[in-house]
Amino acid sequence: MKRRLILFSLLALAVGCAGLVAGRALGPAQVWEVLTGGGDPLARHVVLRLRLPRSLVALGAGASLGLAGLVLQSALRNPLAGPEVTGVTPGAVLGAVTATGLGLAGWQSPAAVVVAACAGGFAGAGLLWLLTGREESDPVRTAVHGVLVSAVLSGLTAMVLLVAPGELGSVVQWLVGSTEGRVWEHWNLLWPWTAGWSLLALALAAPLALLRCGDDQAAAAGLNTGRARAAALICAVALTAGAVSAVGAMGFVGLLVPHLAFALFGADPRTALPGAALLGASVVGGADAASQWLSRLLAEVLGADRLSVPTGALTTCVGAALLLVVARRSVKEET
Amino acid sequence: MIQAERLSFGYPGRTVLDGVDLTVSDGELVALIGLNGCGKSTLLRLCAGLLRPGAGRVLLDGDDLAGLSRRAAARRVALLHQSAPSVPGMTVRQLVRQGRYAVRGPLGMLRDGDDEVCVRAMADVGVGGWADRPVDALSGGERQRVRLALALAQDTRVLLLDEPTTYLDLRYQLEVMRTVVRLRKERGLTVVMVLHDLGHAARFADRIVALREGSVVADGPPDEVVTPGLLAEVLGVAGRVGRDPVGDWPVCYPDHPLEGPNPLRNENHIH
Repeated sequence: MKRRLILFSLLALAVGCAGLVAGRALGPAQVWEVLTGGGDPLARHVVLRLRLPRSLVALGAGASLGLAGLVLQSALRNPLAGPEVTGVTPGAVLGAVTATGLGLAGWQSPAAVVVAACAGGFAGAGLLWLLTGREESDPVRTAVHGVLVSAVLSGLTAMVLLVAPGELGSVVQWLVGSTEGRVWEHWNLLWPWTAGWSLLALALAAPLALLRCGDDQAAAAGLNTGRARAAALICAVALTAGAVSAVGAMGFVGLLVPHLAFALFGADPRTALPGAALLGASVVGGADAASQWLSRLLAEVLGADRLSVPTGALTTCVGAALLLVVARRSVKEET
Repeated sequence: MIQAERLSFGYPGRTVLDGVDLTVSDGELVALIGLNGCGKSTLLRLCAGLLRPGAGRVLLDGDDLAGLSRRAAARRVALLHQSAPSVPGMTVRQLVRQGRYAVRGPLGMLRDGDDEVCVRAMADVGVGGWADRPVDALSGGERQRVRLALALAQDTRVLLLDEPTTYLDLRYQLEVMRTVVRLRKERGLTVVMVLHDLGHAARFADRIVALREGSVVADGPPDEVVTPGLLAEVLGVAGRVGRDPVGDWPVCYPDHPLEGPNPLRNENHIH
């Protein structure tokens, strides 16, 4: 497992580097020149002020989402749980959009966006909790309620957008998930937040392993299940909110990365958690690089200079395909 | 030593246990029997501190369980539930390791090592050979032994087992029972087990405690307690009781359910 973790760290690194060189205007040679201290002022600006923070934000947000998904699935003992389908991500988006619409937060005040996204995330999760109740219900029921809550929250977000369309341009990015235009300010806010909550998630590895074994077993082994689950949910919401405020609702990452992480790094959260962080980082970082590359390609083919493919659209498309595979496999396992 | 004093427990509109007294001495193997819903599983959970009694208390070597934290209680009492959901991909070693949580705590569990207890627990139930196999891939009997190893990994003096032989083939039932009896002897464990099969109780237990509608109706060694009267009163069946020709323990020959609608029937399983 250690070797795999190292391997996937290298993958995340490689993906980050790919993000640096995939964009328009500058090729790998020029990027290398800048990184080694040379290059003309424009190239330096593009690489150090635009591409580097953008890649880092993509990696950090991806790691957050991967972790949040794994924590959520373990704590709820539900393979269909993910921040996207438990009301957490749509809630966070609603929070961010509303705060922006009301003028309380915006492009210039990312910290306020984090707070608003957190509040929204908790509200979304709380709404689901009210609907499903405290009783441990079956995964499918929770998933159905989660989809319901998510739909309602997305509807509310659309209403906010219609009522306050002033900042539409900066707001839409939260809906699809985008890494476009992320700068150091975002990274400076994202990394301490992500690092802190990631450490908490790691500290929760043992309780999460027990929660996966079922509440009866966990309690018999000495775990205060209520408290452990609450801590895990807070951690998942905070990680999701951090990612959403940085890159928006990056579709399916939190739902699918945990499946990959458990398959690749085993059922022990001690390795699955860092694994999920690395996988999430690789997926979003990869999608970021791919979207830049696609944008460049489209620009060349269509001659459209300002066209950019949102990263979230890519993760959603790939994720949908993967979800199909996971769903088919879990059906097979049950029969 | 476990002392349950005038234990009562219930849900709104339903009394599950009504003033139960139970004392289990160190090193004793006690079997709890009774119909479904008579409160035996609830009694076991109260003795593990997993439920808070409505009235009365449970003393563990003189300490009130209600005053112990979940972790402190789990360091002294291990309970094996009747069934547990499967965890996809989890190996035998990983599952058994979960039993160390109470001793090591959330951060201690992050470290490796201190696994002798787990190794011994797996060896004790004969699952050491498949430590790295996923639990999902095992048969029902094997899985039950792995779960027994998890409870043993808690390294407690008291072991509570809730129907450890249900759903198992006879061969595996005997295997689990034999393992428990052997461990009890080797380690001086105090064991309380809910048993569905009166035959196992009569064969292996030092003492049988029979529950009916939340009260103790019989309590004593199998020789004294296993009688046609017990079959009728506790299990609602007519039958005879004989002796094993070789070992001389009591053997039941149940014949037919007693006439009329059974007032004891209660399908509300408490889980």
